[in-house]
Amino acid sequence: MGRYTKIFATFARACLVRDMTFRTNFLLECITSIGWMSMNLAFYLLVFTFTAEIGRGTGWTREPFFAFVATGLIINSIVQALFMPSAEELTEMVRTGGLDGVLVQPLDAQFVLSLHRVDFSAFANGLVGVGLLVWSLARMDHAPGVIAWILYPLLILCGVAILYSLVIMLAAATILLGRNQSLYDFWFYLTNFSRYPAEIYSGPWGGPLRNLCTFVIPILLVVNVPARIIAQPLTGQGWGMVAAAFSAAGASLLVSRIVFQAALSRYRSASS
Amino acid sequence: MVFPYTSPMHNSSQNAAIHPQKSRAASREDAGREPVIAVESLAKEYRVYDKPEGLLASISGLFQRKSRIVHALRGVNLSVGRGEFVALLGPNGAGKTTFLKLLSGIITPTRGTAQVLGHVPWERADDFRRRFALVMGQRNQLWWDLPAAESFRLHKEIYRIDTARFERTRDELVDMLDVRKILLQPVRELSLGERMKLELVAALLHEPQVLFLDEPTIGLDVVAQHTLHRFLTHVQAQRQMTVVLTTHYMKDVAALCERVVVITHGDILYDGSLDEIVDRFTTHKIVTLDLDDTPSLERMERFGFPCEIRGPQVILRIDRPRIAEVLPEILRSERVRDISVEDVPLEEIVAALFRSEAAQPPTTHQEARA
Repeated sequence: MGRYTKIFATFARACLVRDMTFRTNFLLECITSIGWMSMNLAFYLLVFTFTAEIGRGTGWTREPFFAFVATGLIINSIVQALFMPSAEELTEMVRTGGLDGVLVQPLDAQFVLSLHRVDFSAFANGLVGVGLLVWSLARMDHAPGVIAWILYPLLILCGVAILYSLVIMLAAATILLGRNQSLYDFWFYLTNFSRYPAEIYSGPWGGPLRNLCTFVIPILLVVNVPARIIAQPLTGQGWGMVAAAFSAAGASLLVSRIVFQAALSRYRSASS
Repeated sequence: MVFPYTSPMHNSSQNAAIHPQKSRAASREDAGREPVIAVESLAKEYRVYDKPEGLLASISGLFQRKSRIVHALRGVNLSVGRGEFVALLGPNGAGKTTFLKLLSGIITPTRGTAQVLGHVPWERADDFRRRFALVMGQRNQLWWDLPAAESFRLHKEIYRIDTARFERTRDELVDMLDVRKILLQPVRELSLGERMKLELVAALLHEPQVLFLDEPTIGLDVVAQHTLHRFLTHVQAQRQMTVVLTTHYMKDVAALCERVVVITHGDILYDGSLDEIVDRFTTHKIVTLDLDDTPSLERMERFGFPCEIRGPQVILRIDRPRIAEVLPEILRSERVRDISVEDVPLEEIVAALFRSEAAQPPTTHQEARA
């Protein structure tokens, strides 16, 4: 096992020990999270009592759409469990000077600041997402092929990478500004776009928005590409989206790395 | 009647002793000690924005802000040899912690160079960071909700300490500080003194060659301070570790450090031994008398400056060159029950040193609009 894997395992173990110390809080977080997600699912079920498909001819009928929602749940739960708790804590670490302690350790600071806190309760949604995915796939007419099954987890990782890059760039802004609560709100608004099929963004306003959220901030590729691969037959356009998702993930990671390192070199530290 | 023990600083004689860092640094290197820390013309400036008072001013501040440059360090030179225990003294805001942060690579300087263990600190090379430790008395680096044993385990992985060495070092440090019984207790439940002991254990687990201590005894009771003094003295001597300490407690300095560096307004004002501070910056000694009767002010003024007369107990300030002649005279002319002769308390000397520099206005603050 590599050193960084061992260190991450130690972080995760420590967080689990801490979560188990406050068991009621842990259970409440799981219940709140699953409750919020159940309300969303109920809302989508309600929508499908009025329509058979989201957008005419898009292929997003009830079961494929729930596979889409399940994919979104899985990706979001990974980001929420692994990266968001650390990113949220960064504001406090910059404000109080706690970041100093990280910078003197012989470790990659981005690794520590991205992964030192793990929120195990956020995995609850991911597990429900896996269950929802199995349920949807079992009821769909279309059965995913071998290539789709190989690409699906890789594209999930691409989605996680794109969201992670966004989170870590906002965290970098925290280092430069000292506080950026509004930027985390901005992250929440942006990720809202990723929750719906790209096809709904059409027309004079939707078209430019779709281009912006695909090519500039590739948020629309996060869920759409893996969901389309698993829920709909693979077409030529689908391969283009796969290529776009891999490229966007690589580019996002690279840009976020550059931005984060630049921010660290400008860190001022807090007065003691 | 109570007067300060220290007299105003005599500028003519003492200005010659101010800013001696270059010659001292050179002389230390001449002495053949391997320089572990070498700092040259190190400067750090910050741009700070003034927040105007009032609603209207705050709104206009959104579009145009007044800023100024704060000089936290102004071109400092310093050389520290292997195994030295150096105290950085200075009033609040003097630049001590900024200096430690630069030496540990947390922040980057505006100008100047520094090498610690042969590395430029702010390049943050892993090989460098594996060989030093920083302990900040006002910040907790252990996992707050977990027992310290968990944080130690994490340190083992971060610093790649092999299991046998880790267990040996941990047990040795834990026994020295007598903290074995609290290892499995969540850190948030421990007292400040217990936490600081565990912070020190964590910092020393990877056997650093350089240790930076930023006010490690702040808020600790006398017993805990004494324990840390004994521990640090022992570990530093045993490992020949280079230690740089910032503190406001002169007891720390007296117990631990042979060398003192005084920083004010981002400049080094004094660099030398602790004894030398007393020699250079005091012109008198404090003589405490316990007499048979309560003397008058005039009677005591014959011997020196009476700082305090409380019943038969008198505290006199006497010029150092006159001590040899005045003491026999006191014993001859007064009925003395008890007598003691002491140097001026270190706190008083250092405070006077700070005050003398504080009287000089800071310079070259630029103003700008952004």
